Amino acid sequence: MVIKERYNLAYGLAGLLILAFFVWTFNLLFSIQNNWAESNDVTAMDKDVHALFDPWRNLNRPGNDVLENYEVAVHKKELRRYLQEYRQARSRLDTHDRARVDLGNYYRDMDAAALEVETLARRVLELAAERESLRLADADAAMISAAETEAATTMARMDQAFQSGLETIAGMDQILDQRLRDLDGARRAGFGSLYLIIIVALFSSALSLVLLRRTSVQGEALRASSTHLNAIVNNVVDGIVTVDERGNIESLNRTAENMFGYSSDFVIGRNFRSLVQPEDRSLYDPAEFKSESGPSGRVSEFTGMRCDGSELAMELEGTQISVEGRPIIIHILRDVSERKRSAKRLQLAAAVFENTSEGIVITDRHCNILSTNPAFTAITGFAADEVIGQNPRFLQSGIQTRDFYDEMWRSITETGHWQGEIVNRRKNGEAYPQWLNINAVKDGSGHVTHYVGVTFDISELKASERMKDEFIATVSHELRTPLTSIHGSLGLLDSGMAAKSPDKSAELIRIARANSQRLVRLIDDILSIAKLESEKIKFQLRPLNLAELVPNAVEANQEYAKQYGVHIRMEPGGDDARVLGDKDRLIQVLTNLLSNAVKHSPADGVIGVSYGRNDGYWRVSVTDNGSGIPKSFRGEVFKKFAQADGSDRRKQGGTGLGLSISKAIVDRLGGRIGFDSEPGVRTCFYFELPIMQQHWSAEAGAERFVTSAELSAPAE
Amino acid sequence: MGRDTLHRILYVEDDADIRKIVSMSLEMVGDYTVASCGSCAEALQAVDDFDPELLLLDVMMPDVDGPATLRELRKRKSAADAPAVFITAKVQSADMAQYRRLGVFDVIVKPFDAMALPDRIGQIWQQYLSGEYDHAG
Repeated sequence: MVIKERYNLAYGLAGLLILAFFVWTFNLLFSIQNNWAESNDVTAMDKDVHALFDPWRNLNRPGNDVLENYEVAVHKKELRRYLQEYRQARSRLDTHDRARVDLGNYYRDMDAAALEVETLARRVLELAAERESLRLADADAAMISAAETEAATTMARMDQAFQSGLETIAGMDQILDQRLRDLDGARRAGFGSLYLIIIVALFSSALSLVLLRRTSVQGEALRASSTHLNAIVNNVVDGIVTVDERGNIESLNRTAENMFGYSSDFVIGRNFRSLVQPEDRSLYDPAEFKSESGPSGRVSEFTGMRCDGSELAMELEGTQISVEGRPIIIHILRDVSERKRSAKRLQLAAAVFENTSEGIVITDRHCNILSTNPAFTAITGFAADEVIGQNPRFLQSGIQTRDFYDEMWRSITETGHWQGEIVNRRKNGEAYPQWLNINAVKDGSGHVTHYVGVTFDISELKASERMKDEFIATVSHELRTPLTSIHGSLGLLDSGMAAKSPDKSAELIRIARANSQRLVRLIDDILSIAKLESEKIKFQLRPLNLAELVPNAVEANQEYAKQYGVHIRMEPGGDDARVLGDKDRLIQVLTNLLSNAVKHSPADGVIGVSYGRNDGYWRVSVTDNGSGIPKSFRGEVFKKFAQADGSDRRKQGGTGLGLSISKAIVDRLGGRIGFDSEPGVRTCFYFELPIMQQHWSAEAGAERFVTSAELSAPAE
Repeated sequence: MGRDTLHRILYVEDDADIRKIVSMSLEMVGDYTVASCGSCAEALQAVDDFDPELLLLDVMMPDVDGPATLRELRKRKSAADAPAVFITAKVQSADMAQYRRLGVFDVIVKPFDAMALPDRIGQIWQQYLSGEYDHAG
């Protein structure tokens, strides 16, 4: 910008100088031309003045012989010619008005002289004519002589007038010559000036040219370097914004324009704060960038605001410099959104690494462990610092063969990937199945730099799969067993083989029937448990009084107990023991507990049944003095098809599902089920249901039953 | 006759009803002599006196299952060489592979045809014999 002003000044001065030269030269030329014209005029005048001499010189002054007739005639002719020439020259003189020469007196004197000459000449001619006529008339000599005398006198006077006229002309000539000389001098001076002008003009032109040349060279250099600089400034990847001391924007480069989406025109003059998100504006203070110790960048981070209002994470480096004594603050802006985003991505990746439930192992290309995550520690029991630097093969359980690992490495080498099930060993020595996924990490040129192993412990999954398989196998076995008996007994009966022995026939029929019943029970129980577990059974909930329900159930099972030589004794409880439940289901639970107790009671055993309050619940207990539950089996009691002594089951005819079903029912009713057992002494199975209290509901006008659980809920 | 005819079968089955039916079938239809045992323990008690020619074992039994019972019986001289046949509903491929590893000679699938069972045992015995001759020859 400063450069440009200098340019303009140089051009202006040069222009003025040239204009002055022109004016000066023009004036000079004009005066020279005037001088020239005047000089021409004066020269013409001088010629014309000289021409005045000629008629007079040519006019032969009449002598005595003028008086001769012939002579008079000649003189008359000469006089006429003289007069004519004089007047012509005289009138020419009048036309030289441009010559500023005052010849006024000279004209008069000359004219007077010319007139006198003419007058006297005419008188001479008259006298000559008179003398002639006198001579012709033979007048006396005296008279002729008088006329001759007078003529001579007149001629003398005419000579004088001649002389006077010639002197006047000579004076005029002198004046004109002087004027010519003056003009000549002036002209010479003019030409001198002109030469000077030309020299000066040439010199100054040359100088100007040189100057201009130099200026233009400089200008071009400046322009070139400015273009160069602009190109650099516009193409740097950082945004550059210059502001004044108050933060008003003075310039910005293209990157900055692109960053904010504004064009320069729009933001120049606005405060830099307008490019910052409102909540960050107070953070921006242009004074912060002032430095006493010379330019030094101060870096701060802002959230910028694009023209569409969107956020722009930016890093701002501000430096105050001084240009021609004026402070300018240069802001270098970097769009750190991508950096922030990648930092966030990294954070996220790190968080995933830390928090995922899958164990992750990262090794270098030589398979030395670089990093493991907390899930790895949770699965294997090895802390990161115990394994870093080691080869993961220390995890091997020895269960997989050499071939297995060879195949794994072949796959990793060929495809960069392997996945599959593998059994490894935990720190505590336990072998566990895991799903392992190994990937080679490659750099840009395809070289393996790392391996990442992602693993999850599938021991639980395996266990549950195993349980499912076992359940299916068990169900299948449980169903096939009675079927085998039915099929076999019917087959034997059908063949007639048993016909000879009625005892055997009867036994076969009993077997077929018993197993049919068992099959039916099994199918019922399996369906029940399946429905209970999938909650497909709808419970008919209604208030039930255990004081009625329990004795009824006991009564219903008394006959069955008798078959085993067992007696069920109902112990006294209150009259009012209300619970909310499904009557049939509760009877099913009680029957299960009773039949278990019966089956496990010794002959002549007594089973005690009671109910009573227990901590907000009604507890129903069934106590026997059978073999009890061995400690090892206590965790299995409520599992499906679980029976402490399997061989017993056949004898007892149970399905192994009774307690599972009972537990499912009690759970559904919001109750609890459990047992206490002293093997060989007594075993007590119980279930509990929330105590229900009776309330009168005014608006319904009917009994409404509220469970204690509902009552104990905090009032709203 | 003699060696060619099968007489004594040691049979282990935990389910009493099936035990009865199989015993009846083998004794009445097949005219075999059957030692019926409800468990491994019973079998071990009976085996030496009985000196079985063929072992017929259920697989899914509580406490000691068929394979374990077989291993136990094999320890006894009296049952060390007798061909073992499993009678079971557990006949998935993994199970069959396991039986093969145990050296079980054949498997009879439950539910079985009680009338055809003696014949089936007879065929198995003949197969066993021919195999033994092949081996011997």
